Amino acid sequence: MIESIKLLVVDDELDFLETLMKRLRKRGVHVQGVKSGEEALECLGREPIDVVILDVKMPGMDGLETLKAIKAKHPLVEVIMLTGHANVETAVTGMELGAFDYLMKPMDIDELLYKVQDAYQKKMLHETRIALRRKIAEGGNEDEDK
Amino acid sequence: MAIKGLITAIKRLTRSIFSPSDGPSSHNFQNIKELRLTFQSRYLAFRRLIAANNRALTLMTDMEEKLRGTRPFGMSYIKATCTEITTQVYTMVQNLNLLAPGKYGELFDTFESIRQKIQKELDSTELNSLSDGASRPLVMDLTDVSSDHADLVGPKMANLGELKNRLGILVPEGFVITTEAFRLFIEESGLHEEIARIIQSADRNDMDDLYRMSTRVQKAILDSPVPEQVKLEVERHLEGMKEKMGPSIRLAMRSSAIGEDSKGVSFAGQYRSVLNVSEDFVFNAYKEVISSLYNLTAITYRYRHGILEEGLAMAVGCLAMVDAVSGGVLYTLHPFGNEDVLLINSTWGLPKAVVDGTGRFDEFIVTRKRPYRIIEKQIRDKDRKVMCLPDEGICRVKVVETERMEPSLTDEQITDLACMAMKVDEHFGEPQDIEWAVDRKGRLVFLQTRPLQSIPKSGSDWEAKVEGTVILQGGNTVSPGVASGPVFFLKRYADLLRVPEGAVLVAAQALPVWASALQRAAAIVTEEGSIVGHLAHVAREFNVPAVFGISGVMEILKEGQTVTVDAHRCQILEGEQEGMAVHVGGATGALMTGTPVHNLLSRIAPSIIPLTLLDPDSPHFHPKHCKTYHDITRFCHEKAVVEMFSFGTDQTFPQKSAKRLVTDVPMQFWILDLDGGFGEDVEGSYVSLDQIVCKPMIALWEGMTAVPWQGPPPVDTQGFMAILYEATMNPHLDPGLSSPYSVKNYFMISRDYCSLQSRFGFHFSTVEAYVSERTKENYVSFRFKGGAADLKRRVMRALFIQDILEDYGFNTRMVEDSLEARIEAYSEDIMFGRLRILGYIIIHTRQLDMIMTDLSSVDQYRQRFLRDLKELERGRTL
Repeated sequence: MIESIKLLVVDDELDFLETLMKRLRKRGVHVQGVKSGEEALECLGREPIDVVILDVKMPGMDGLETLKAIKAKHPLVEVIMLTGHANVETAVTGMELGAFDYLMKPMDIDELLYKVQDAYQKKMLHETRIALRRKIAEGGNEDEDK
Repeated sequence: MAIKGLITAIKRLTRSIFSPSDGPSSHNFQNIKELRLTFQSRYLAFRRLIAANNRALTLMTDMEEKLRGTRPFGMSYIKATCTEITTQVYTMVQNLNLLAPGKYGELFDTFESIRQKIQKELDSTELNSLSDGASRPLVMDLTDVSSDHADLVGPKMANLGELKNRLGILVPEGFVITTEAFRLFIEESGLHEEIARIIQSADRNDMDDLYRMSTRVQKAILDSPVPEQVKLEVERHLEGMKEKMGPSIRLAMRSSAIGEDSKGVSFAGQYRSVLNVSEDFVFNAYKEVISSLYNLTAITYRYRHGILEEGLAMAVGCLAMVDAVSGGVLYTLHPFGNEDVLLINSTWGLPKAVVDGTGRFDEFIVTRKRPYRIIEKQIRDKDRKVMCLPDEGICRVKVVETERMEPSLTDEQITDLACMAMKVDEHFGEPQDIEWAVDRKGRLVFLQTRPLQSIPKSGSDWEAKVEGTVILQGGNTVSPGVASGPVFFLKRYADLLRVPEGAVLVAAQALPVWASALQRAAAIVTEEGSIVGHLAHVAREFNVPAVFGISGVMEILKEGQTVTVDAHRCQILEGEQEGMAVHVGGATGALMTGTPVHNLLSRIAPSIIPLTLLDPDSPHFHPKHCKTYHDITRFCHEKAVVEMFSFGTDQTFPQKSAKRLVTDVPMQFWILDLDGGFGEDVEGSYVSLDQIVCKPMIALWEGMTAVPWQGPPPVDTQGFMAILYEATMNPHLDPGLSSPYSVKNYFMISRDYCSLQSRFGFHFSTVEAYVSERTKENYVSFRFKGGAADLKRRVMRALFIQDILEDYGFNTRMVEDSLEARIEAYSEDIMFGRLRILGYIIIHTRQLDMIMTDLSSVDQYRQRFLRDLKELERGRTL
């Protein structure tokens, strides 16, 4: 499953971004990285992305603003928030805005990957259902399910 | 198989989740597919809820542990943990509402009101740094400073202002760069976020990591420019000083941090001072001093004393450098001596060598009352001294031969010093720790004063005789006590990162930086160093036995060799001496209790940890009665399990509904496959064991069936009476009256997950397990409640089980006769072993409550249990 996930990491802290991408790639994930919320939106407009790992504190568009914009334009994309600055209020706001999860730095890379997989599964289920509904609405009757 | 039932089920389902325009029956296959998707989504929601539940419970356990106060933690721990628990609890509420749309909406309100309570506590501690900024000066002349300005200039400079302006004691000319300037600096350089992030990451006991983080913050501070307004103000004050003192001024730049003098916390030597700074380097030196707020020693020290990082600020005193002939430290009360003497340590040159523990010094003991009689003089060979360099900086130079053995203070100076010091003691109303110097003109100048830390009264433990071969003897008792451990040399800074727990630290000099290792150490001995130095303070604070000034330790002791330090007698003995407990510094008392961080956690915990919702069958088991996060997790968990099961049974959907397990055990078991628990599609309403691929269930089942149940235990008359009584009083005990859930024993399974709800005889039990290669997510939990006997016997049975489970590493919690046990984060093999044990226990404890007052048969059962369990734990590898 890991190989089919298209992941985007957004973090202004370059060291962190690069290390994380390297480690995720080693585990077979297709991962891209950008340094700001603006770049993230640009990337999402250009390429199919399943899951976004998003830093909360960034100069320019911050994490919450970016999350809002992502959810507005790409509602199916799942977003995992990541922060080095724990804050109860932001966490809840993020979750209410539709973040899949809210994680604290530093986190275990494997834990993060599990979260990514879960988020991906959620997105897949969601998409499959939409496709099915469309088919039903169109009156299609073919069946791949036995 | 009833196709009609299937269609009805789908119709019912489509009404709720499909748009009304969908055709009812012509799209069966899509609908089946949709139904399966729904099921998978529900399972994902369920799994996430369970995972969040586990994580939340783990965090709560950890928080409970921290509340005991024996382990250090910081503000960032509280913030991070509150944030994480909040996120997990929210995730649970959210996913329960996915499982049962609209049914538990009010949980969001309950959650929010608890969250706000927690938020309020968190907010209350954060200092409002932006308030009335305009009226707070960036720089203050020392002439204007008194103890009222502690917030602005830090306690150290406030005290100095007090000496100058209220007591008329000679102190150096100068000014203070205030905490307001510090805040401005942090704000303008945008370091606030950086610092918060780094500190949060460092809130663990990982020295390597801490070291990296500390280096990063310090570098960030050094790389940032000093704000223009601050620069202008400082330059203005420098001009003023030059007018008074001549054009070539040299400064001593001294840290004065907020919180430095909290009760019982000295911060001795944790922060930096830079001596003999020329005008050109004032701003570099300033940054150096404030960056020391984040040096490794200071961070660990604050952390271990539970000092809030929030509101931390440092003022810097810029004082005219005193080119001292001699200098040192005075304690207005001798730390170990009798109550009416004071102690002076004195050396040639700057007092630095005494304070840092890097040189030898004279010692004078003087009475605290007029005429300040000198009781004792110890003149030592002072071969080196610290001096100011002509341009900038300081250096260590050799003392000329004729002066080495000369007293560094005259008798008259000693008496004058004692007299001035006692004036300060009286003014502040408590013993003081004073740094002083004699300038070129022979005048006594006070450089600093602060409350003398109180020293723990001598316990009897170190008065006990310690026998053994003495390897070395000498030096001074710096912190009393006796302890043993392996020798570990501190030679360079990097050694700090690998100090073994319980080591006897050995160093040439009593450098302040060694302080961060003391928490882990059993004892510390050094060749040089003073009882009044920084490291000495910290050793006493952590109650680590310490002897300084004992010659030869670096050569004679061997790394790894086990020795005993008897700090009271200033002896180092061979091996670990009989009858002595190894003393580890950090283990003394609840060190966090009463600290600001601990107090805050104590105020937050009541909204998180207590569990008040105990009985799922009670009408009180309702969102509006959830008072804590724990209540919410319990409620969500309980309801999620019910929702999952009822979804499966409500739908007569063939592939997914509950099936009866084919077994030769005389009990009925129903199995609901959530996702991938059956190895193949199972037709009909029965499933056999070999069709099940859920490993946790298989392990549990093995435990349940390994040894056949021998039937109810023979009951004594009293036990029987107890049951009769309970049965008449409690109608729920009649199995005929039970709810649909309690008649059935049902498993819910997926490939990695299994939950078993059962009622065996008169007790209810739940086993739940998630076991996969995600080791950290693995857990097995067990709940057990009820019984037919009276409460006393039921409690005794629960205790009986608790005992056994604790031996197998379960964390347990008991309220009356209800027992909860959990084990987490072990590998698959270990978890399967634990599941077999639970399987055995739920079968074989049936009706055991009845014999619980018969001690001999209880013991018989226990023996048999332990024997069987030993076999079972090993089990076969699955």
